[in-house]
Amino acid sequence: MAELLRRLLRTPQGLLGVLIVGLILVIVVCGPWLAPYGPDTMAPRLRYRAPSAEFLLGTDQYGRDILSRLLYGARSTVILACLATAFGTLAGALIGTTSAFLGGRADEAIMRTIDAILSIPSLLFALLIVNLLGKSSFSAVMAIGIAFTPGMTRVTRSVALAVTKQDYVNAAIARGERGGYIVLREMLPNVVAPIVVEMTIRVAFAVMLFATLSFLGLGAQPPSSEWGLMVAEARRFMHLSFWMILWPSLAVALVAIGFNLLGDGLRDALNPRT
Amino acid sequence: MNVLEVKGYGLDYATPTGFVRALDSIDLAIARGEVLGLVGESGSGKTSLAWAIMRHLPPRAREQGSISLAGQSLMTATESEIAAIRGRRIGMVFQDPSTSLNPTLTLGQQLAEVLARHRGLTRRQAWAEGEAMMARVGLKQPAAMMRRYPHEASGGEKQRVVIASAFACQPECILFDEPTTALDVVTARQILDLFAELQAETAVASLYISHDLALVSRVADHVAVLHRGRLVEQGEVDAVFDAPRDDYTRRLLAAVPRPDHRLMTGKPAAGAEPLVEVERLSVHYGRTPFLSALAGRRTAQVAGNREVSLSVQPGEILGIVGESGSGKSTLARALTGLNRFEGAVRFGGRRIAGRRDMDRGYRRDVQIVFQHPDSSLNPRQRVREILSRPLTLYGGEARIETLLEQVRLPAAYAERFPHQLSGGEKQRVAIARAFASRPRLVICDEITSSLDVSVQAAVVELLVDLQRRNGTAYLFITHDLNLVRQLAHRIAVMYRGELVELLDIDDLSTTGPRHPYTRKLLDAVPPPREYKS
Amino acid sequence: MSPSYFVKRLALIVYTLFVVSLVVFGITQVLPADAAVMLLGENATPDALAAIRDKLGLDQPVWVQYGHWLWGVLQGDFGVSLRTGQPVAPVLLEALGRSLTLAVLTIALMLVLALPLGIVAALRRGKLADLLVSIVSYVGVSLPEFVTATLIVLVLADWLQLLPATGFVPLTENFWDGLAHLALPVLTVSVILIAHVSRMVRSELVDVLHTDYVRAARLKGLSRRSVLFHHALHNALLPTITIVALDVGYLLGGVIVVEEIFALPGIGRHLIVAIQTRDLPSIQAGALIMAATYSVVNFMADLAYAWIDKRIQYG
Repeated sequence: MAELLRRLLRTPQGLLGVLIVGLILVIVVCGPWLAPYGPDTMAPRLRYRAPSAEFLLGTDQYGRDILSRLLYGARSTVILACLATAFGTLAGALIGTTSAFLGGRADEAIMRTIDAILSIPSLLFALLIVNLLGKSSFSAVMAIGIAFTPGMTRVTRSVALAVTKQDYVNAAIARGERGGYIVLREMLPNVVAPIVVEMTIRVAFAVMLFATLSFLGLGAQPPSSEWGLMVAEARRFMHLSFWMILWPSLAVALVAIGFNLLGDGLRDALNPRT
Repeated sequence: MNVLEVKGYGLDYATPTGFVRALDSIDLAIARGEVLGLVGESGSGKTSLAWAIMRHLPPRAREQGSISLAGQSLMTATESEIAAIRGRRIGMVFQDPSTSLNPTLTLGQQLAEVLARHRGLTRRQAWAEGEAMMARVGLKQPAAMMRRYPHEASGGEKQRVVIASAFACQPECILFDEPTTALDVVTARQILDLFAELQAETAVASLYISHDLALVSRVADHVAVLHRGRLVEQGEVDAVFDAPRDDYTRRLLAAVPRPDHRLMTGKPAAGAEPLVEVERLSVHYGRTPFLSALAGRRTAQVAGNREVSLSVQPGEILGIVGESGSGKSTLARALTGLNRFEGAVRFGGRRIAGRRDMDRGYRRDVQIVFQHPDSSLNPRQRVREILSRPLTLYGGEARIETLLEQVRLPAAYAERFPHQLSGGEKQRVAIARAFASRPRLVICDEITSSLDVSVQAAVVELLVDLQRRNGTAYLFITHDLNLVRQLAHRIAVMYRGELVELLDIDDLSTTGPRHPYTRKLLDAVPPPREYKS
Repeated sequence: MSPSYFVKRLALIVYTLFVVSLVVFGITQVLPADAAVMLLGENATPDALAAIRDKLGLDQPVWVQYGHWLWGVLQGDFGVSLRTGQPVAPVLLEALGRSLTLAVLTIALMLVLALPLGIVAALRRGKLADLLVSIVSYVGVSLPEFVTATLIVLVLADWLQLLPATGFVPLTENFWDGLAHLALPVLTVSVILIAHVSRMVRSELVDVLHTDYVRAARLKGLSRRSVLFHHALHNALLPTITIVALDVGYLLGGVIVVEEIFALPGIGRHLIVAIQTRDLPSIQAGALIMAATYSVVNFMADLAYAWIDKRIQYG
């Protein structure tokens, strides 16, 4: 792990990514303790305030402190996005490796179907599933997870297939190793790295997608301080205070940038040959 | 007067940890009509020298000394002067024609563009001239060849096109960077003949870069030996080969496989029960994908092997030779259960009709070593884990350290990852892994072809030693005829999936080969010239 | 391009559309435990439930429902909107036209900006220009459309008052006014695409510039310019066709969001309204049309690629 971190910090992307994602993790874990006010503490006489010493990022239409809302909202935004990605990755990895393993006709049939499902744009797919499950954070997580599954299946399968063609796998087969050993010890360590990279980058995408769903009114519901929802609510009051809409927008963007950078950094750091 | 002259040339590359010396005080000169062979192993700096002469160096290069073409300094020339010299006054032929030609332009376009650029011809004139050049380099149907894309031509045809564009503007000097290494032996021989012919005809000054001493001794007048960025020896071919002065040159010469210098003494016991018998073994590649079948397309099944029959005696080394695509590796993969096959294999008296019949005993007794150790060693496992697998599978009291010692590697290597080893060391680890289960047959699939000559010699010596100690039989697959003639008891020749000839090494020198293809192969690779050690 | 490749690709798109129709129909009509209750809510009267079951054929077996729906779709009949009582197809097709205008303008803007950016970054690799392009593209791919839209509206519409923030004027009615109304949505959706495509173009071109054949061309004495235009660009830009076609997926998602934000009456906005009002036939039709658009674009991209790249001959 220490070795990986050292390699990660060597590239500018990795360094920045670690810093940003590290900061986000601190906020996710300690956000509620760091927040100066409660997320729902209203102050009718202190509405639409610009940033000041009292309210570092200003206040919203109910006079709630935006900084505190952001710090609380980090949990619902980031953790749910990570959950959705993990779910999609797990399902995709399962289908992808199975398909690569089966090979032949079965592989072709599975992959053609996956390709077909991939032709439904992710946001649209997510919308359909939200429509099925109803508006809520939970259904947004499910929707994103399911929407990610075909893409992750593709990635996993192509990585697994490339590894199967390596001579160290051939050598293990020729040596008479059991299937379990070949999959777990020879293939898996070489398959995991590219999938971790893909997953990290997808967290960025999941954060964006989740915020978008909330923004459209189909994800987190008020009074949650999920960031996409905060943007959506702030739109009506844009002319009264643009800070309200600016901060949560920037927060979403920062998280996405952080995970994108970290993913690219990991890609270099996890390559055993460099 | 010398056409190309390199004086006191030094080259360093800047790295984060300081400068790394690539070339050091290089002096060489090539006169009109002369061929200088530049010999060196990988990492010796021979390619760096070629890039330096072509003025194609990365920005992090630092240089000293001088390089001049017919008295004009190339190092002080401006970029536009260099562009006018490249292709016009210095040509270059590259190693691999399949990557040095643009896949999306026709061969004609790529040849004509040089003519249009340097000789000021119109497109029509350049095309006509290109066609003439195609004919001159021995391409049949030059007009049709002009319109073809690289993927529609064979490797030999493509290399002829590359040669045609190098000679197109009658340059004073041409650099040949391993021009036959990527080609099959028979094709390589034809390209060499073409080179000799054009060289004599045009009297161009040639720098012929190669790792192959034997080959250089045939094409060059002078030879220069490059070792770790320094020219350790230079002189006329005869002088260098007859009386090498430098120690490295001597080692290099000694490492060249010579068919008359047999490494294997003795013969396998005659009349003994054969260890392996391969009976009419066929492998078919390719299957018609569902959608293609739907589209009414029948893909012809590509035959990997067609009814190959042969046998190996205990302790025998059977060499298998043939060009790429002849089915050598397919046979190896079938025997180790990596390919489905028809026919049967009889091993130790037991009949094996398919992959299911390959039990633990068979797996233990038959081991394989692959061509590229980079791919055959798992990059995420340490050497210790790599070597411990066959031990846990098949027992044996051998320790990791003993296995490493057996292949002459230090015991400390057990804790290393493959990427921390050199190519030769990696291949030794792969060999150690194969021998760990004390097999009776080891299949060596081109195991030395990615290694340097001197490393190859050491690996081959190791194999001979292991054979002597363990009495293991080898199926030694290679495209290097001279090497296999040093090593094998019998040679099987494969051509387009079929076994065309199986001959005893003694018969080869007395009665000679019977099949015309075998004769062609042998003619393509004459034994290297003798040198007195 | 061989005829068998065409036939194979055609068979594939038919299969794709079939799977898509199954998924769309399955998620919307079959999977809900009781679609009628889901549509009307728990408090619906038995009469209303019965009416809607009858209307959508929910009493029939699943396969009959699907077959019935598919048969209608194949004839251009997507059913009747539960919200307006009007046939879905004509309304949706009109909306699709507006969305396509938006999409085509976006792709045009994206190509005009992304290709030069990617090429400059690749040619000036490691220099300031490359760094700038790479920072811009990192930020670009990390901005969800609703964030971009917010920022763009704040700056261009609110502060500078250059362009209208909402509304739609058909191009046929008043071209310049229509264009002005489309400017912000187009800008919004294109940000993420420009960022992504310029990054891909850069990496493709960097790879191609390092190939042996480009080096060989340089060593034949061809000028930088001629190497770039004759040898490198052609090969580097070929994969862009595929990348752009795949990005149409993002584009369609983006279209949904910006139509909602900028109040453009396109197919995306229709879909959101349909989902919020649980207008089943409209949801099915909208989703199917979007997915079909995407598949058809990719089909055409593959054909174009095969036509341009002579190497593709596999059957």
